[in-house]
This record gives sequence, structure tokens and C-alpha cells, in this order.
Amino acid sequence: MMVSADPMEQFVIQRWLPIHIGGLDLSFTNSALFMTVGILLVIGFLAFATSKMSTIPTRVQSLAEIWFQFVDGIVHDVNHKDGKPYVPLVFTIFSFIFIANLLGLLPGTFATTSHVAVTGAMALFVFALVIVLGVWKNGFKFLKIFTPSGVPWWLIWFVAIIEFFSFLSRPLSLAMRLFANVLGGHVSLTVFAGFIPQLAVGLPIWGVAIGGLLVLPMVVGLSALEVLIAFLQAYVFAILTCVYLNDALHPGH
Amino acid sequence: MGDDLNERIAKAQAELDAQTRPPVRDTGKGLGLGFRMASDFVAAVIVGALLGWGIDALFGTTPWGLIVCLVLGFITGVRLMVRTANEAGKTAGDADAGKVKDEGDGA
Repeated sequence: MMVSADPMEQFVIQRWLPIHIGGLDLSFTNSALFMTVGILLVIGFLAFATSKMSTIPTRVQSLAEIWFQFVDGIVHDVNHKDGKPYVPLVFTIFSFIFIANLLGLLPGTFATTSHVAVTGAMALFVFALVIVLGVWKNGFKFLKIFTPSGVPWWLIWFVAIIEFFSFLSRPLSLAMRLFANVLGGHVSLTVFAGFIPQLAVGLPIWGVAIGGLLVLPMVVGLSALEVLIAFLQAYVFAILTCVYLNDALHPGH
Repeated sequence: MGDDLNERIAKAQAELDAQTRPPVRDTGKGLGLGFRMASDFVAAVIVGALLGWGIDALFGTTPWGLIVCLVLGFITGVRLMVRTANEAGKTAGDADAGKVKDEGDGA
């Protein structure tokens, strides 16, 4: 019996439709495919759920409403009234990450959020948006985010350096957390699930019993944990987007 | 008629804004907070290391930029964690979710 040993194999990018334009590699990869599928699923579901709107919502419609109100609630909690224009952005980010994470958990799919290129692009987008929005809305006053109020004057230069560091660490933190959690979750799932056939091959009778009675329930539990993490990572990304947007709108609290 | 509608919209909006919404998100909040703190800390240290390394490469001050910036990154990481913990404590201690955010990044 052949047991696939390499837990990193699932993250290999495959070019399914090679496209090269002017030296750029724009191939349609497995990652791109599952991103597209995820986005289409979100759009399709929401379009279907809201196609026949009624005051008394059907089950599907209320699911869509809960989904939207959850994100709306996050933005409202963090940004209050000023956050209204950014609800669509946060909703898009949350939905994309959530669906991409969930899709990646299905067997045979590709976890797009396990690549730092994807999460990094989103994190840098949020980072750039905060800078552009902050400068646009506040002009020079945006620099106040580096000098929080209530700090004595002889300490302010030091705090400013620390704040600068923390500002720079934001995109890294956003990108790293998402990709590392998805990557780590998938690797641990694969490794633990790999124990079952390895035990069955290595220890003819006891191995099957240990694998089936001990390892398999653990893998099932881990899968459940991964579903929770899939949601939590999307939630954390969304809430941090709101927190950072709040800095852009009101620097120097 | 138009004014009447505007008034009603304004009134409804004021009621909405005055509402203290129950926090939507209690499940797994602590876990999310933990993820946040862990990666904030690590990211701050990495940013410190990268910045120090870059400064060293640019100005040829070889060990000192890295050492100083690494320490600064560590301080930043601890500060970020403490701030996140403080904010979480305030949110948890305060039933009125609306009051919390104003003091957000003041610590």
C-alpha cells in the first residue's frame, strides 16, 4: 500500500491554463480556480437568497441577512456611524476569506488562503487603503497616529518610533496570521490523517485498532476545529480591517 | 410630505444610533484575540529584525542596527499585546459596547 508522505504536496501551485503575456506569467492556476469558485459561490448564494425578498424571510434569505448583519455589526461596533461606507469592503474581505477557508477544507480542493501571496495582497491592500484614506481625510494630521495623546513630551519621540514599528508590522501580522493558520491546520490534518494508513501498514492488527479508535476521532475533532478557525480567521481579518480603518478616520486618539 | 419623510428617517436613524447593540460576537472571541496577539507580537519582532538588517546593509553599521531594532521590535510587540489585552478587558468589563472604542488607541 502506498502512503502519500508529503504534507506540503497539497499546496503546490499547478498551472492549469498557461497564459503568458509579455513576460508575465498570468496562468490560470488551481489557486485562481478556487478563488473564482469561492467568489462565484458567494455571489451566487447572495443573489439566490435575495432574489425573492419578503418581509418574512425564508430560511435562505435569513441566512444571508444574518451573514450581512454580522459583518455590519462588526463595523458598527468598531467604527460606529463613520464605518457605514466601508461595510461593503469589510463584507467582501470577510466573505472571501471565509469561503476560501471553508472551500479549502473540502477534500480535493486547494486552500487559496494558505499562500502568503493571497493573504499578503489583501493585507497590503488594507495597509495602502489606510494610508491613502488617512492622508486624504486628515492630510498632515494623519501623522498623529504616531503620537498618541497623553504621553509626556520627553517620551514622545520614543513612543513615535514604537508606533512606527507597530504601523509597519500590521500588514505582516495580517498576512502571516491567516496564511500560517490555514497552512498549519492543513498540514496537521494531513499528518495526523496520514498516521492511520501508516499504523495499519506498520502494525497489522493493533495498528488498525489504534488508528481507527484513537487517531480517527482526533482527526474528526481537528477538522471541526479547522472549521472554527476558518471562521475565526475571517472574523479577525475583518475586525482588524475595521480597527485600522478607524485609525485612518480618527488618527491620534 | 417630503419633510415629513425626512423627519421620520432622521428619527429612525437616531433611534438606531442610540441603540446599544448587543455584541454580535462572543463565540470564539478569546481564541480570535489570542491569534491576534500572537501574530502581532511575532510580526513586530520580524519587522524590527528586517528594519535593522536593512539599516545595517544601507549604512554599514553591521551589528548595531539589527540589535537596536530587534529590541525596539520586541518592545513594540509587547506593547501591542498589552494594548490589545487592555482593550479586550475594557470591552468585556463594559456592558455598553458603544462607549469603548473612543479610548481605543490611547494607551
